[in-house]
Formats: sequence, C-alpha cells, structure tokens
Amino acid sequence: MARGEGPPTESGSALQGRDAYSINWRLVAAVVLLQAILLVVSPPLLVFALIEVMIFALYASALNLLLSFSGMVSFGHAVYFGLGAYGLALSITHFDFPIALGIVAGPLVAAFFGLIYGILCVQLTAIYAAMLTLACAEVTYAVVFQWFDVTGGDSGISGHVPTMLGLAPYQFGLVVLCVVTVAILMLWRVVYSPLGLTIRAVGQNPARAAALGHGRKSIQLIAFVISAFFSGVAGTLFGIFHGNVFPDYVGVLFTVDGLLMVVLGGLYSFGAGIYGAIIYKLLDNLAAHYFQYWQLVVGVIIVVVVLVSPSGIAGLVRRIVDRFERRP
Amino acid sequence: MTVNAISQPALKVRGLHKEFGRFVALDSVDLTVADGEIRAIIGPNGAGKTTLINVLSGQIVADRGSVEIAGRRLSRQHPHQVAKLGVGRTYQISSTLRRMTVFDNMLCAHNAVSGNWFSLRAGRLRAMEDAVLADLKTIELDGLANQVVDDISHGDRKRLEFGMVLATRPKVLLLDEPTAGMGLRERHELIDLVLAVTRERRLTLVFVEHDIDVVFKAAESITVMALGGVFAEGKPDEIAANSAVQDIYLGGNA
Repeated sequence: MARGEGPPTESGSALQGRDAYSINWRLVAAVVLLQAILLVVSPPLLVFALIEVMIFALYASALNLLLSFSGMVSFGHAVYFGLGAYGLALSITHFDFPIALGIVAGPLVAAFFGLIYGILCVQLTAIYAAMLTLACAEVTYAVVFQWFDVTGGDSGISGHVPTMLGLAPYQFGLVVLCVVTVAILMLWRVVYSPLGLTIRAVGQNPARAAALGHGRKSIQLIAFVISAFFSGVAGTLFGIFHGNVFPDYVGVLFTVDGLLMVVLGGLYSFGAGIYGAIIYKLLDNLAAHYFQYWQLVVGVIIVVVVLVSPSGIAGLVRRIVDRFERRP
Repeated sequence: MTVNAISQPALKVRGLHKEFGRFVALDSVDLTVADGEIRAIIGPNGAGKTTLINVLSGQIVADRGSVEIAGRRLSRQHPHQVAKLGVGRTYQISSTLRRMTVFDNMLCAHNAVSGNWFSLRAGRLRAMEDAVLADLKTIELDGLANQVVDDISHGDRKRLEFGMVLATRPKVLLLDEPTAGMGLRERHELIDLVLAVTRERRLTLVFVEHDIDVVFKAAESITVMALGGVFAEGKPDEIAANSAVQDIYLGGNA
C-alpha cells in the first residue's frame, strides 16, 4: 500500500450518499453528448483516434472485470479481442454469413473460446492460472498464424467487410459510441448487481466466499465468459474499423496494451478501463509525435504513475473529488 | 446441556485421521457434539484443533474416518457445499472482504443465501438493505457501516466475520479462535455476543480457544486435544479437576 493514501477500495456501498448501485444517468448523458460533439466537429485524423480510444475503453473495461473484480489475471486477453475480429471475418469468408450476422458472430466466437479456455484456467489459481491464460493465448496465436488456408496466416483477412461499414468516419464513430456505451453500461450492471457482488466476493476472498456458499470455479468462469464476450465486442468493432484482421489482434502486444490501460486507470475501480484507454492512447499518440523513443517515454510515465498512485488515475480522480466534496 | 433424545447429534466424528507428510495432525479422533451444545476445543499448539475445524468445514479431506453433520455424512464435499449444509465457520485470522465496506460485507452474506446471487437486478440488493442493517445492529457494527474493512480494528473485523457467518443462517457454528489477538474487554464482549446469539437461535457451537477464562465462561463441555488425538473430554469442572490436563495444558498457562 502506498503511503499517504488509503488502500484501493471498491466503491459500491448503498449507504454512501448517492446510491452507488444505480447508474448516474446525468454523467453518462454528459459524457456521451460530449463525445458525440467531439466526433462530429473533429477532423478525420482525430476522429480515428477517438474511435480507437472508445474501442479500447471497452476492451480494457472487459479485462478490468477480471483484474479488479474476479480475482483473476489474464495474460492472454487479446485472444478474445482478436477472435471477435476473426469471428466476424471467418463467418463471412468461410460460412457466407451476411455482414450483420457476422457482427453478431464475432463476440459469440470470443465468448465460446472464453468458455473453453476459462474452464481450463479456473482449475488453477493466482500465477498458475495466469500462466495458463498465456499458454492458451500462445496456442491460439500459433494456430491463427499458421493455419494459412483458413486465417490467411500472416497476411490476415481483409475485404470481407467495408472499412467502417462504408460510413463517414464521424458516422462510424457515432455507431461505435452507441455500442461501447451500451456495452460498458451492461458491464456496470454486471459489477453492481447480485452477480457482481458474488464475483467480487469470490475475487477478494475465495475462502470467505466458499464459507458463504459460493464455489470459486463456477463464478470465476462466469466472469471469464462475460469478459471474453465484451472483449469480443471490442475486437469485432476494431475489425470493422480497419476492415481487416491480422494475427497481431490476438497477439501479446494487444494483451499488454489492455493490462497497461487497466493498471494505469487504477485497479479496483470500475472506470479503470475507460481512464486507462484515454490516457494510454493519448500518451501513445503524443509521445510518438514528439519523441523518437516514444515507447521508452510511455514506459517511464507508467512507472511513475504506478509508483505515485498505485490506484491509478481513478484513485487520483477519487481523491480530488473527495477533497472538493469535503469543502462546504 | 440439554440433549434431545430424538434429535441426532449435530456433529458426529469417528476415527478421523489426517497426516501431513509424516506429521500426524489428527490421530483417530472421535467427537460427538449434541444438537444445541456449546463445546470448546482446547489444547496446546499443534494439537490438531484447526485441522479438525478444517476437516469439518470441508477445507481439508481427511485420510480416514467419517464426519456426519446432522445425520448427513460428508464425503469430500467442497467448503461451499459444506456451508450449504448449515455449517458456518470463522477463521483464526479473520477472513472478510477487506476492500469492501462493512455494509457490503454483510450484503455479500445476505446475497449468498438469497438464492439470487446470479441475478442482474440491483433492486434485489436494495431490497436487502434493511435486513443487512438489522444484522449490523445485532453485532453492534451499524456505526461502522460505511467504513472500509481494511480501516476497522482487528476486533471489529472478527465481529464482522462472525456476523457474516450468522447471516447465512447456519445450524452449526465452527469458530476457530474467535477472540485471538483481541483485548481483554473486546474479547469478553465478543464471546458474550456469540453466546447470546447461539442460545437465542439454538445453534450448535464448536469453538477453538486459547483463553482459558473465555473457555470456562462459555463452554458447556470441553474437548482437550493433544498430539492430534482427543486427550480428555468432559464438563468444565471435570476438566479443571483433571490433573493430567493440568499437566499438559492448564499448568503452564493458568
């Protein structure tokens, strides 16, 4: 625990002033409206960046369900992100699905693999489970990379869906905004519901949860599948955004991106994925623009943030809000 | 101690044996606890008390022997399955959800036994609020409802853990050193609470305890364990008068 700040906590008590289990619709409306305006008025290059941020906010939020709440670590979450995009592509190229059906297939394929791999991974705990997620990811990457006839191997698949569905960037941005908003609200519903409380109890203390009557494996599996599904939604959007899919989408770099976003955003907070995606993509773009060794700069910033505020951006925001609220 | 002739014993243990490597943690332990009885388990460190509790709650599977809870025989059930049979346990080092508030901890306990733990309706949680607050009042922690468990005192955490166990409506309570590490006053306040609730709800209570004052205040009968086996068993005054027990246990500490 860092000095000078409380331990990371999970907000959610029904007694804390505002009922934390209900959605702050005003805040949601304000953010969505702001984002919609940004999308409409920004030049295409910025719109592309905003779309990427939104997609990654969903991906990181889905991963955050595991990291912050279910007590699991996934070192291979890009698999579910990437399989969303592959599910979309393959269902169209190999099964002649219409595009609309392919879009539905993407997240379902991700969730299906989440179920299969999840069944394996919940048999173990802690670092052993994490290593197993990594192993599953490596296997998936190898298959996707080498099964040339089906996946196109290194050259991936493209042309199966018009880039951004043939919409103007801002129009596609608005579509992504709708999907991501609904998906993140659904994740919120999961976390702050009886099911979410169960997942959090198991995640924080499996022994106590067991003494209360909850079996760890089944509940962690549920969380894993939900997380894989929403990662798949993000991946499907990403596939449509670029109109293609490559083995990189299931690769380790996308996994690391997600993990860094959550840690940067702040573990044990629902907003971690959202804050993290915004900051990380901002850093990524700015640093790449100004520095030759931009990855080094991003790395140093992450180290500093983690040292200064282990509870990430979310912890920082919470402390600032607390300070304001304490003042009369 | 009132033993109902019709009712089965709450707990019936026969020939329980457990080894860790070459260390014999439990050596053919027999134990019968009647329904509604308050039983203390005492003994020096390494006597096998916690191992016994762990076997009874499904944490550890014994090498040999049988455990029956209210007539139902345990066979390799997992802890969460044993919990559903009506066994509530607390740990030597209190086991709570430390990043959540006291209120949410108790909410978790209510949620666990609501039959709707998989629901996505937040309204179900709000509907539990009154019951949660009532339970917090019972254990006198309602004033700390909004505190994060990491920030409350050790004693309050033990109290909360006990309260969470109660909220699952167990029939048998297994408390592993309920007052360990607490101050003298806290210690007696907690044990008074445990006794009051146990009697009021007619629960069966089995507790491991090192504090001899607490043991003799609370227990209706005492099992003394040593070297993995049951060394002596009887009413508190019998145990107090047993010179062999005094030699191995009470002598050094009393």
